[in-house]
Amino acid sequence: MTVLGKRIARGVEFAALTLPAVAAIVVVVMVPFGMSVVNSFMKWNGLDKKPVFIGLANYVELFTDDPNLIAALIFTLFFTVAMVVLTNVIALLLALALNQPLRGRNLLRAAFYVPNIISLIVIGYIWRFIFSKGFDSMYAATGFAPLNLSWLGDPKLAFASTVFVSVWQAVGFYLVIYIAGLQTIPYDIVEAATLDGAGPIRRFFDVTLPLLMPSVTVAVFYSLSNALKTFDVIFSLTYGGPGTATTSIALDIYKTAFSDSRFGYGMAKSVVLFLLILVVGLLQIGFFKKREVES
Amino acid sequence: MTRAPRLGWLSAILFALAIVYLYPLFLVVINSFKGFAEIMANVIALPSAPTLDNFANAFKRMEYPRLFLNTLIATLVGTTGVVLLSSVAGHKLSRTKTRLSWIVFIFLVAPMMIPFHSFMIGLVKVAKSLHLTNSVWGLGVLYWGLGVPLATFMFHGFVKTIPTELDESAIIDGCGPLRKFFLVIFPLLKPVTVSVIVLNAMWMWNDFLLPLLVLSGNKQAMTLQLAAYNFFGQYKVEWNYAMAGVLLTLLPAIVFYLALQRQIIEGMVAGAVKS
Repeated sequence: MTVLGKRIARGVEFAALTLPAVAAIVVVVMVPFGMSVVNSFMKWNGLDKKPVFIGLANYVELFTDDPNLIAALIFTLFFTVAMVVLTNVIALLLALALNQPLRGRNLLRAAFYVPNIISLIVIGYIWRFIFSKGFDSMYAATGFAPLNLSWLGDPKLAFASTVFVSVWQAVGFYLVIYIAGLQTIPYDIVEAATLDGAGPIRRFFDVTLPLLMPSVTVAVFYSLSNALKTFDVIFSLTYGGPGTATTSIALDIYKTAFSDSRFGYGMAKSVVLFLLILVVGLLQIGFFKKREVES
Repeated sequence: MTRAPRLGWLSAILFALAIVYLYPLFLVVINSFKGFAEIMANVIALPSAPTLDNFANAFKRMEYPRLFLNTLIATLVGTTGVVLLSSVAGHKLSRTKTRLSWIVFIFLVAPMMIPFHSFMIGLVKVAKSLHLTNSVWGLGVLYWGLGVPLATFMFHGFVKTIPTELDESAIIDGCGPLRKFFLVIFPLLKPVTVSVIVLNAMWMWNDFLLPLLVLSGNKQAMTLQLAAYNFFGQYKVEWNYAMAGVLLTLLPAIVFYLALQRQIIEGMVAGAVKS
C-alpha cells in the first residue's frame, strides 16, 4: 500500500469507530442545545407558528418581569446551600463511624444506601404519604407537636421538607464516596499522629480531612450540580408548591415550556441554568483543587 | 480486630439510626397489605388482616408485565448502545494521539457539563422530527446520546492502563479493526464495562423526566416510573393501591441491587471519582 493509501485507510477507520458516538451526541445534545440558544432570542409557542426573532426580549423579561423565575432562583440557591452542607456533613460523619471496625458494618452501609436505589420520583411520592397520612398517625400515637404541622402546606416548612427528603435520599451515595476515600488513607499516618499525641478531633482536622480532600472535591461537585438541577423529588413531593415556594429552576423551565407553551422563553431560562451551573462548577473546582494535598 | 467490642455502643447507635432511617420504607411495606379504610384509620399499626388484594389490583391496573417489559427494553437498548458506542470510540480515541482525536474526545465528554434541563425542550422537538417519541425503543436510542459522555470518559481513561502491545499483536494476526476490538480489547475492559453498565442501567430504569417528555402520547409505551406518577397524580389518591404500585415499581431495582450490590457500589464510586 502507498503511504497515502495507508493514511486514508487509517482516517476511514478512525471515522468509522468514532462517528457513531459523535452522531449520538450531535443529535441528542448538541442540536437540541443549539436550538435552546437560538430560540432563546425568539418568541415561539412550540406549535405551528414559526418562531419570531425578538432579540434579547426574553432575557430582559427574565430578569426584570418574572417573579416566578426570581423565586425559583432564590429557592434553588437556598436549597443548594442547605443540600450541599447537610448531605456532605452527614455523609462524612456517617462514613467516619462506618469506617471503624464495627459489628454489622456491611449491613449498616447497605442500609443507608437503600434510599439511593429508589427512583427520585417514587421517593417524593413515598414522602408525600409519610408527611400527610404517616405524620397524622404518629401524632395521634405520640402527641409530639411537630408531627402536627403542615410540612407540605406551609411555604417555610415545605422548603425544609424538600431539603430533608433530598438529603435522606442522597446521603447513601456520598457515604460510599467518603468511605472509599477514607480507605485510601494509610493507617500508619493516622497512627503516627496518635503517637505524637494528637486527639481524635485534632487528628480529623489535621490529618484525615486534608488527605480526604480529593473525595470532598468530588462529593461537593456532585451534590452542588445535582442540587442546582433538582427536579424529580420536587415534582412528586410538592410540584413546586405551595404557590411557588419550592419551585426549582429546572421545574420552572418545565412549567414554562410544557404547561404555559412558551418554548422560546423556556429556552432562555435553559440557557441561564446552563450558565449558572457552568460558572458555579468551575468556581468550585478551582476553589477545592487548591486545598488538596499529597499523602 | 480486638477493638470491636469497645465500639459496641457505636454499633448500637448506628443500628438504631438505620432503623429510624428506613422506617418510612417500612411504613410503605406494611400499608401495602392494608385496605383503604385501615390506612386512613392508622398508618403506623401493623395490618390487622394482611391482604394481597392491593398488589393484585395494582398489578392489573398498571399492566405490570407490559410496563416491566417496556422499562426493560428502554434500559437494555439504552445501556447496550452506550456501552458499544463508548467503548469503541473511547478505545480508538485513547490510542490515537493526534490533535483531531483530542478535539473529538473533548466534544464527546463536554456534554457532561450541560444539564439535561437546559436542552430538554429542544430534545423533544428533535425526537419528534426523528419519530423517536411514543416508543420505548426510541427512548432507548435517545439514552445513547445522554449516556455516551460519561461512558466514553471512563473507557478512555481505562484503556490507558492497558499495554498497547496487545493491540499490536492483533494487527499482526490480520484482524479487521472491529473484530480486533471485540475479540481482543473488549474482554480486557470488563471492569470498566461493568461499572458503565451498572451506572447506566440504574439511571435509565429509574429515569422519570425523559419518559414523561417523550412517551406521554402513547399509553402502550409507558414505563414503570410513569405508572407511579399516574397512581399519585390523581386528585384523590387511593393510598392502598398506590403503596402496592410503588413497591412493584421498586422491586426490580431492589432485586438488581441485592444481586449486584458490590458491583453497583463500585460502579457508582468509579463513575463519580473518575469524572
